[in-house]
Amino acid sequence: MIDGRKLGPRDIGKLPGEQLTFIDTKQLMPLPAPFDNPDTWPKWQEPKPEWREKYAASLDGVIAIDTFETPKTKEEQDELVRKFLSGVEKMLSNEANKGIIQCLNLSMEYCAKCNTCSNACHIFEASGYNEIYRPTYRAEVLRMIVKKYFTKGGKLMPKFVGADIDLTWEVVARLGESAYRCNLCRRCNQTCPLALDNSLFAKEIRKIFSQEMGIAPKPLFEKGDMLQLKTGSSTGITKAAFLDTIEFLDEDCADLTGYEYVTPIDKKGADILLIHNAGEFMAWPENPTAFTILFNEAGLDWTLSSDMMGYDNVNYGIWHDDLMAKKLAVAQNEAAKKLGVQRIVIAECGHAHKAAAVVADRFYPGKDRVPVQSFLPLLRDLVLKGTYDLDPSRNNFLTTLHDPCNYVRQMGIVKPQRDILNAVMPKGNFHEMEPHGVNNYCCGGGSGFAIMNSMNFTYFRNSVSSRKKLQQVLNAFGEASADPNIIKYITAPCSNCKGAFRDLLEAWHMEDYNFHYGGLVELVVNAMTKFETPFLEFLRDE
Amino acid sequence: MILTIFCWLALILFFGLSLWKAKQFASLPMHGRQDLYPIPLESSEKHAYGGSYMEEDRWFEKEHKHNNVAMVIDMLGEMLFIKKLFVNQNKFWWISYALHLGIYAALAWTVLLFVGAFAGMESAFGSIVYVLVTIAGVVAGVLMTLGTIGLIVKRLTVLEFKNYTTPQEMFNLFFLLAVAVTGLLTFLLNGCNFTYGYAITYAMTRFQALSEVCAGSLYPVANTGILYLHIILLGLVMIYIPLCKMSHYVGKYFTFHNVIWDNRPNLPGSKVEATIIKESSIAPAPGKNWSAPHYQPAPAPTDEAK
Repeated sequence: MIDGRKLGPRDIGKLPGEQLTFIDTKQLMPLPAPFDNPDTWPKWQEPKPEWREKYAASLDGVIAIDTFETPKTKEEQDELVRKFLSGVEKMLSNEANKGIIQCLNLSMEYCAKCNTCSNACHIFEASGYNEIYRPTYRAEVLRMIVKKYFTKGGKLMPKFVGADIDLTWEVVARLGESAYRCNLCRRCNQTCPLALDNSLFAKEIRKIFSQEMGIAPKPLFEKGDMLQLKTGSSTGITKAAFLDTIEFLDEDCADLTGYEYVTPIDKKGADILLIHNAGEFMAWPENPTAFTILFNEAGLDWTLSSDMMGYDNVNYGIWHDDLMAKKLAVAQNEAAKKLGVQRIVIAECGHAHKAAAVVADRFYPGKDRVPVQSFLPLLRDLVLKGTYDLDPSRNNFLTTLHDPCNYVRQMGIVKPQRDILNAVMPKGNFHEMEPHGVNNYCCGGGSGFAIMNSMNFTYFRNSVSSRKKLQQVLNAFGEASADPNIIKYITAPCSNCKGAFRDLLEAWHMEDYNFHYGGLVELVVNAMTKFETPFLEFLRDE
Repeated sequence: MILTIFCWLALILFFGLSLWKAKQFASLPMHGRQDLYPIPLESSEKHAYGGSYMEEDRWFEKEHKHNNVAMVIDMLGEMLFIKKLFVNQNKFWWISYALHLGIYAALAWTVLLFVGAFAGMESAFGSIVYVLVTIAGVVAGVLMTLGTIGLIVKRLTVLEFKNYTTPQEMFNLFFLLAVAVTGLLTFLLNGCNFTYGYAITYAMTRFQALSEVCAGSLYPVANTGILYLHIILLGLVMIYIPLCKMSHYVGKYFTFHNVIWDNRPNLPGSKVEATIIKESSIAPAPGKNWSAPHYQPAPAPTDEAK
């Protein structure tokens, strides 16, 4: 294995049949207390021999693509390379890739290799500066392949133009894995002096694998997109199960609060169709319940949909497959049209915000679209105009706010969540992370990582991709981080981010230090004077 | 006369090829939204923290005004000072900025020489122009030389740059260095003045042979060998720039305006909607679409299934 800090893009094909580099646990970014001692860190999970045999573990020993069985015969290996190149050709096509070709051509052509983007990447920094995680690494490898096979310069003077790469099946396999070492958070894009997007290359490699080679991580494609198109939700919740769940949640809410709130379902012509990430119903049911309380208390004309494509706002297609993204977005829009609602309001899910409001925005003519907006400005206005009788002292603990990249950096929704937090938290209890807002760092679960738990991928997420966020959280709470007597709540208004925090807290045993995490709406309900019992479970336990 | 024609050709090709490059990008289909905040086109209050119109309840019913003044200020900051590099990679900004400032000075020098070709050196206005030509020329030569040498040294010695730099990228830097050095040598070997520059633009605007102008009394140039070499290199680099990644002055317009700042929503009756409708016919030719199984049309039901 080669020390990752010494690798260059041309080295990606080195050591065929072996692991190219490794996560150097001694070089990982140091952390403040209580994790200042590396002995407290999660232990590296070496890939099992049978994993190595079957899957592509030869990049850094981590396996993200759990459906990619490496080719064994020469014919299979050649076919893999052929298919990959066929995908690259389509990636470069104005027709097959029309939705991104302009951005791609610009990023492909103009990178000045100034490496400004590298300083912005949380994964590169957290890894201890392993080159394979540098935002320009996979971009440069792909650029070399494009030059070699699809440009005249690359054919005539390969070395001179930087097309001197030997494209083996192993390079393809490693490149595919490397595409899943990027959270697609676009922080690198934000700092680039030429506004080029290196995450775009990660996404395009994922697309080549998914759209041409039919290879994508199971949680994204088979258990994600396909399951959602088949049952209505990536969680597998069917319409009948959904209806049962809502009934159950409303009953639970009545038991807890002493008030009967009914979640409206399939109300024709309502003003608002609220769409949750269906994962909330299973993992964090208090979140949709809080929405029901807040929307009913405000007297809003709203509904949920039980249409097969109307009760789960997720869209994993935006991370790896254009067709899946479009199919899901179109179906969700159709569900809203069927109900005749005025607007779709996206609940606490970052990528669903971006998928429905931004990515899908140019899929079809505006006249066919039901307007999409975030729940945040709506709730901010309700809170600030005094709709709810709030007592911030009921949230008597420390909190910090995680900014989901998808609707902060990529949609410019920054202030409403802060206005809400300042209204429901006691003065001085809300501690911002640094940096925050549009300059935030990803939770480490972005672009599908939060739901990818195959083999040893969780180690990569909890120890590398979420590491910068962990550092930010610890720094935000300062000395209180190591004090188990002080309650610390990480406000994460996004399902995927919450998933990443859930696993992070567990992997680092942060419950021992009294860390909790959850959404934003729960804090609002917890501050309502109307209810005697705390809404937040960890306060009830006390 | 050949050199005079070459000078015009280089100038025309520089602008022509740059426009062709811009046209190539502009003619590509409209992409999906890639907004990235902060966006200076938003109101100054929102731009300050990176907010957008999507922070408003029922944003689609509200007027979305563009803050063009802030956009121009932001754009100038990038164009004139490479602001993002200064903020995010201050350590190397000085080297890169030296080269870019040198190029800006060279552009100013060129424009001033064309003014000087008509103003001459005798009048008061002509004298002022000459002073400006001298300042711009010296600044251009010195900064371009220092900047390119700095970047070459950086790319040859720092591993994180060396590993990612192609021979062509080194060639580009050496090409610029050669132009800057021959320009400085022409200046130094011809009495430390820019009479040679006047000779070039005079010959171009009067369509005279450069050798005749250099041999004449109005703008005499003694060492024409180095001048001719400089002109050939300068002309070649002007033709070459739009054809390589040094044309990023074209790309940068698109990456900012058309990509990360383009947050125009697809509202009914909007220009975005019109473009979507217009481009809806763009689709891969048969056999050219993606090949994964889920991209294939569902098979027709069999008789048995029917």
